[in-house]
Amino acid sequence: MTATASPTGAPAATQATPGDDAVGTDEAVGRARRRAADRVLLDTVRQGRWWTGALAVANVVVAIGNLLTPAALATALDTVLGSARGASEGPLLVLGGVLAAGIGATVLLELTQPYSAAASTVWLRSKLVDRVLALGVVGLRRFDTGDLVTRLGGNTATASAAGAVVLASALSLATSAGAVVALFLLDPLLGAVFLVGVPVGLALITVFVRQSSELYGRYQQLQGDVAGRFVDAMAGIRTIRSAGTVSREVDRVLVPLPELSRAGRSTWQMQGAVTWRLLLLAPLVEIGVLALAGWLVTTGRLTPGDLVAATGYTTMGLVFFDQGSILIALSRSRAAARRVAEVLSDPPAAPRSGSAVLPAVGDGTGGELVLAGVTVCSGGLTLLDGLDLRVPPGCAVALVGPSGSGKSTLAAVAGRLIEPDAGSVRLDGVELSTLDADELRRAVGYAFERPTLLGTTVLDALGYGIPAPVPEDLVAAAVAAHADGFVRRLPAGYDTRLADAPFSGGEAQRLGLARAVARRSRLLIMDDATSSLDTVTEVQVARAIEHALDGRSRLVVAHRAGTAARVDLVVWLDGGRVRRVAPHAELWSDPAYRAIFAAERVDTVASSTEEVSS
Amino acid sequence: MTVATSRGGWRLLSTELRRRPAALWRLAGWSVLEIAPTAASGFVVARAVDEGFLRHRPGVGLAWLGGLAVLMVVGAVGARRTFGSLADIVEPLRDAVLAAVTAGALQRAVAGVERPNAGAVAQLTGQVEAVREITAALLMTLRKFGFTVVSTLVGITVLAPVLVLLVLPPLVAAVVLFWRLLVGVAPRSRATMLAAERTAASIGTVVGGVRDVVACGAERRAAAEVGAAVDAQADTERRLARLESVRIPVVALGAQVPLLLVLVTTPWLVGRALATPGDIIGAVTYLTAGLLPVLNALVQGVGSLGVHLGVVLHRLSEAAVVPEQDAPVDPDRPRDSRLEVRGLTFAYGVHADPVVHAFDLTVVPGEHLAVVGPSGIGKSTLANLLTGLIAPQEGVVRFGGVELPRIGPDTLRTAVALIPQEAYVFTGTVRENLGYLRPDADDAELDATCAALPLGALVQRLGGYDAPVAPGTLSSGERQLISLGRVHVSRAGVVILDEATCYLDPVAEAAVEEAFRVRPGSLVVIAHRISSALRADRILLLDGTDAHLGTHVELLAASPLYADLVGNWTGTAPQLA
Repeated sequence: MTATASPTGAPAATQATPGDDAVGTDEAVGRARRRAADRVLLDTVRQGRWWTGALAVANVVVAIGNLLTPAALATALDTVLGSARGASEGPLLVLGGVLAAGIGATVLLELTQPYSAAASTVWLRSKLVDRVLALGVVGLRRFDTGDLVTRLGGNTATASAAGAVVLASALSLATSAGAVVALFLLDPLLGAVFLVGVPVGLALITVFVRQSSELYGRYQQLQGDVAGRFVDAMAGIRTIRSAGTVSREVDRVLVPLPELSRAGRSTWQMQGAVTWRLLLLAPLVEIGVLALAGWLVTTGRLTPGDLVAATGYTTMGLVFFDQGSILIALSRSRAAARRVAEVLSDPPAAPRSGSAVLPAVGDGTGGELVLAGVTVCSGGLTLLDGLDLRVPPGCAVALVGPSGSGKSTLAAVAGRLIEPDAGSVRLDGVELSTLDADELRRAVGYAFERPTLLGTTVLDALGYGIPAPVPEDLVAAAVAAHADGFVRRLPAGYDTRLADAPFSGGEAQRLGLARAVARRSRLLIMDDATSSLDTVTEVQVARAIEHALDGRSRLVVAHRAGTAARVDLVVWLDGGRVRRVAPHAELWSDPAYRAIFAAERVDTVASSTEEVSS
Repeated sequence: MTVATSRGGWRLLSTELRRRPAALWRLAGWSVLEIAPTAASGFVVARAVDEGFLRHRPGVGLAWLGGLAVLMVVGAVGARRTFGSLADIVEPLRDAVLAAVTAGALQRAVAGVERPNAGAVAQLTGQVEAVREITAALLMTLRKFGFTVVSTLVGITVLAPVLVLLVLPPLVAAVVLFWRLLVGVAPRSRATMLAAERTAASIGTVVGGVRDVVACGAERRAAAEVGAAVDAQADTERRLARLESVRIPVVALGAQVPLLLVLVTTPWLVGRALATPGDIIGAVTYLTAGLLPVLNALVQGVGSLGVHLGVVLHRLSEAAVVPEQDAPVDPDRPRDSRLEVRGLTFAYGVHADPVVHAFDLTVVPGEHLAVVGPSGIGKSTLANLLTGLIAPQEGVVRFGGVELPRIGPDTLRTAVALIPQEAYVFTGTVRENLGYLRPDADDAELDATCAALPLGALVQRLGGYDAPVAPGTLSSGERQLISLGRVHVSRAGVVILDEATCYLDPVAEAAVEEAFRVRPGSLVVIAHRISSALRADRILLLDGTDAHLGTHVELLAASPLYADLVGNWTGTAPQLA
């Protein structure tokens, strides 16, 4: 994760956020962001097209149906009660019609809501995936991987629900308002009694929202504690297995359980307390209205049917209290849209590609990489500072330096995973940013310290991104990277699905290396791509790669002295600048150079050889 | 994962619920109280109208309504108390499911049935939470529906028995229809959940590997793959919506058809004095204020919640399966701590090439053996075979003259210790971590271990044996030191270090290996660096097809690969001078 999260070595936390340097405009920035979020929301809702339109129509019909029902019921009731002999069917037919229309509209509502949400989600997700892929590594500087997955998965779905939520809110408000108006129309006193209860209800809702977030926070914290212990035990499973202590581990994971149970009970008790208050309020308002209506029946101002209607409108008026949950849903949608909008519209800008092509060279021939005055800044830090570098055609060049010296940043700039803030990067004389995107990826291959293997099967993963991969070439690349042996030992060999073959770090590294070798690019960039291999394997792999890549150019980030010793030229980086360029043997006499390897990971060939020779 | 049958999951739930009859009865009791005002509402309104408001005696009418208001307060108290009973049901349920799932997942990871996976753990704990919440929601909805239906029917019967004949048949038809729909929609609902999971997985892969996607120039392919998953999910959602929209008329059938029937027959009923106007108004109250809301809640909520719960329970019941452990019935006791391997053959799969082939080895007490070979060649597999954690395809491993499966698990685990590369340090005190394999170890023994390994400085920095340890604050090397100290202080007669010192610096590594070498018992080191091999009495070289055993000098002469490797290292040595 760390390898993907900060491939340039820049900690994500130090990223500058807009507004840092202009304190006075914080509010304006916030407003602009909210506007951007609402724009995304609006665009998303529009994608529902006529499904959203039909949903709106359904909502209007449902609201009208709801509001007409008590009145129609009252008229029907008065008719059937008043004309015990010789009834008129008219009001009954009206009631039946109103109910039927309500059902039809509700069916339409239930159908159009998911249709419109699905259309919105598909659109928003595709837009966001394109953006994430266009941002590439640059995006990962600003957003954590897990965070991006949430934005793409959960947040898009929540944002897409906004249309339905807004309409539901409007429906609920219109119904409530209409019901209050209806109560006033029945008798102004009824409306007045109803309105007295409303402020109390609003106060209760506020209390609920505030209390619940605290209690749920405590509960979720304890849940996280259990999950953390669980993950710890899973990570140490080989120790637990060999020590035979699994039942003790189960107990350890469950230690916070009593506390969790207590916190859980508090949340239920809180819910009970809130329900109790709401249950007291709602019916007492209803009883108040009902008592008043009954008295009005006695005085002849209302009919018995009106009494039923008054009850119905009171219940309907109280639908207003659902507004609390609807408002929460709406604010959730807006928050989600804001998180989506941050990815879509906030800086950094996605790198653009040109249409230039590279001068043709024969297969197996290396390219010439020239960096001139390359500067890369991130979060106020200068990672590369006006750096010049040349990788001659067909040469292997190692980047060596203490951590933070800019090795990985340089590796990322050299193949345009990130763009320099200043300076130029040219491959065979062509500026990378003017290159056609496909041409660039054909020309430059990457192997990483922790590669992510993508695709369906092992073979597919090796040819991932190659337009028409030749299986024999892929296997040859696997042989070169010393991956062929363990792949053939898998249950289905090269056809084993990636999901069925969890690879160790060293195995994944060799597959990533094979994937890069298979591309036959004129420049291969290896960013610490053999670090998980033991010293025995690293030597074997390095030899095979040299043979397989004979004649092509290589840029290698080296942490081990042995790696640096095997290349043509070492570029010694320090503080984002080139300190010296020379063969390893020449640099080795410098104690400062040797100190780099002593401070690096301990399993270096240098430290082993020192022991052997001493 | 198959979710076609979710029976095991429901069994898990019903077993847990049946364990708590008292809480269930309490919930039922408080529910009766909660429903009381609803049960009385129609009757009270009917009497208030008939005896009060229609006879111009508002006092009587208001008195009836006042009675209802009192009942409503009682009902609110009941409603409040139901949450306490609910907590008594779902909190222990969550505890039980969580305990079962934790035990199952850890046992299966230990048995090697499943690979440990942090994502899967997060998913499991999330699903346990879903069980708690959905069970609570379903219990509350279903019991309210049940009590309301019964009390409504009783209330209407009390008002005018003939009215029940109009209400009951459509209501029964509605419930039957609802059940049929539920059964029909369930597979589609499951498909929707699975499609959502596939989308999430696809998004996770592409976002997690965005650097690699870009480096491979595979943006179009990645976008198309996510797009296909997203489209497939939207498709299943639309299909589900079409099926689910059918449930709306169920509400109409159950509550609104009875209402219309009552109204249509009212002139006739009132004319024949089978019902009073108050009875009619009371029945309408029951139907519109009692039955309609709970029927709505049932139809809207139970369907999707029930299916969701079914799927989640099924997943959890699978996760809670504890693999069978075959401990020997009458175990033999090892005579000493000699480790013998005879004719050992092992491969990853049936069709795969063997990792080791008809291989013999004896490690005598006090011996120091190093295992070297390329990464991924099967060195860790060999370690698992030697400790009996996996069984060989052919051949036997004996400890103290007894075949490993014939030794009791506790005896074997105490006698043979394996320290893997990924050190396990848990949240607890230093003493708990160091005494993990020997809780009875005293301070003097711990001191001796700390002195033998370069561990004293770390323990001192942490604040002594009784200071707490937070694994996340330790470096990989410090974690390895603690897990090494834990085995050093143990009584294990055979210690296997599986790259257990790879994060230590060479000096510390040498000190650790020396400490284990002088400790009683034998030492097997799976080497990350060649320097480890040079310190051993004998070296086992694995090259993928064959195993070569000998001293450093013997192997130099016998194995070109070994000579080549060592030669390579010394090849850079002149530059050191």
